[in-house]
Amino acid sequence: MSEFYEGMAEIFEVELSAITSEFELHSGEAAWDSLAIVSTIALVDDCFNVMLDGKALGGCQTIADIENLIEAAKKG
Amino acid sequence: MSIKKTIAKIKDIAMYLPPVVLSNFELSKIYPEWPSEKIYDKTGINERRIAGKDQTAGDLAFEAATRLFYQGQIASQDVDFIILCTQAPDYILPTTACIIQDRLGISRHAGALDINLGCSGFVYGLSLAKGLIETGAARCVLLLTADTYSKYINPMDKSVRTLFGDAAAATAIVATDAECEKIGPFVFGTDGSGAKNLIVEAGMYRVPKSAETSKELTDDSGNVRSRNNLYMNGAEVMAFSLKEVPKAADALLLKAEMTKEDIDFFVLHQANKFMLEALRKKMKVPTEKLPIFVDDCGNTVSSTIPIALFKLHQQGRLKSGHKLMLIGFGVGYSWAACLLNF
Repeated sequence: MSEFYEGMAEIFEVELSAITSEFELHSGEAAWDSLAIVSTIALVDDCFNVMLDGKALGGCQTIADIENLIEAAKKG
Repeated sequence: MSIKKTIAKIKDIAMYLPPVVLSNFELSKIYPEWPSEKIYDKTGINERRIAGKDQTAGDLAFEAATRLFYQGQIASQDVDFIILCTQAPDYILPTTACIIQDRLGISRHAGALDINLGCSGFVYGLSLAKGLIETGAARCVLLLTADTYSKYINPMDKSVRTLFGDAAAATAIVATDAECEKIGPFVFGTDGSGAKNLIVEAGMYRVPKSAETSKELTDDSGNVRSRNNLYMNGAEVMAFSLKEVPKAADALLLKAEMTKEDIDFFVLHQANKFMLEALRKKMKVPTEKLPIFVDDCGNTVSSTIPIALFKLHQQGRLKSGHKLMLIGFGVGYSWAACLLNF
């Protein structure tokens, strides 16, 4: 999971320690915008070899929501 | 005894960028939430070139072809077929390639046609040129790629305005006698279900331009556009590219009975740095084998691959005997890959 958290910290331009399951995607200075979503699709594909849906990602509120999408995608 | 046959090869390439520069600095003044460094960091693009108000894709193609002839490897009278790949033709009709035949003083016995493809267009153009030459239908194909996406882009849509630039390239493909194939094999792919994700919806017959289609709307990311403008669903296009491009590369290697290690350069459609690095990681290709040339021109649609080839050659990085894999992918969805023996 750490590689994923490192990537999310980079996307949101925050310290790695700030990234937890509870991290609010809409709270930081960097918005949960189209660029962040595109970056997350590539990151998740790289870390977990699963492709997330852009629309579903757009609806996520926290990192935990993304993790749930990843788990669901893994089960296929 | 080996048998020589007529095969197609790339003889020379030229490129043209229009003079107007759109820099990250200018863009960051319009989109304060995206400073210049952030735009560069994500896209790898410092500036893009924009066609003048009266400058069409046909004009850009004309300039690129003029440069090609000036380089001296082929002359206009050698050309017996013109293929122009563009999604911004001069007119609905006639065919822009026909107008270019006259402007360039190319023989009236030459064939000419336009093909409407975007980022996959150069590889498709090569496949057509190869077919024409190796069946004996033509001896010297002028493959022009030219686009002016800037004319479709809403100035307040940073999702596409930061990425796309206008440009043209001219590639001469000629008949030669050789023992081994210089262009090919090819693999192709199409998935029209992705049409809606990269589209200029209004302006033709399915959705004619109207007051309604001109209405500007702001999306969730703060980008403004109307249905007359270029729309790109970045997330979907990224997902499509990550899914199909590595598969196309593997299929081509299988077809050619080669391995990744046999390839000296993977010249992919130069979408932007971020996408190319994601693809490079997924394809497990070392950095030096997957060149990125978007810094001074951005994503120039069907011209990115010939421009990358031109720059690789200019930098002296291409050596005789090198094997290259070209992969074009994008709007359609459409994709194609081929090998090139340099």
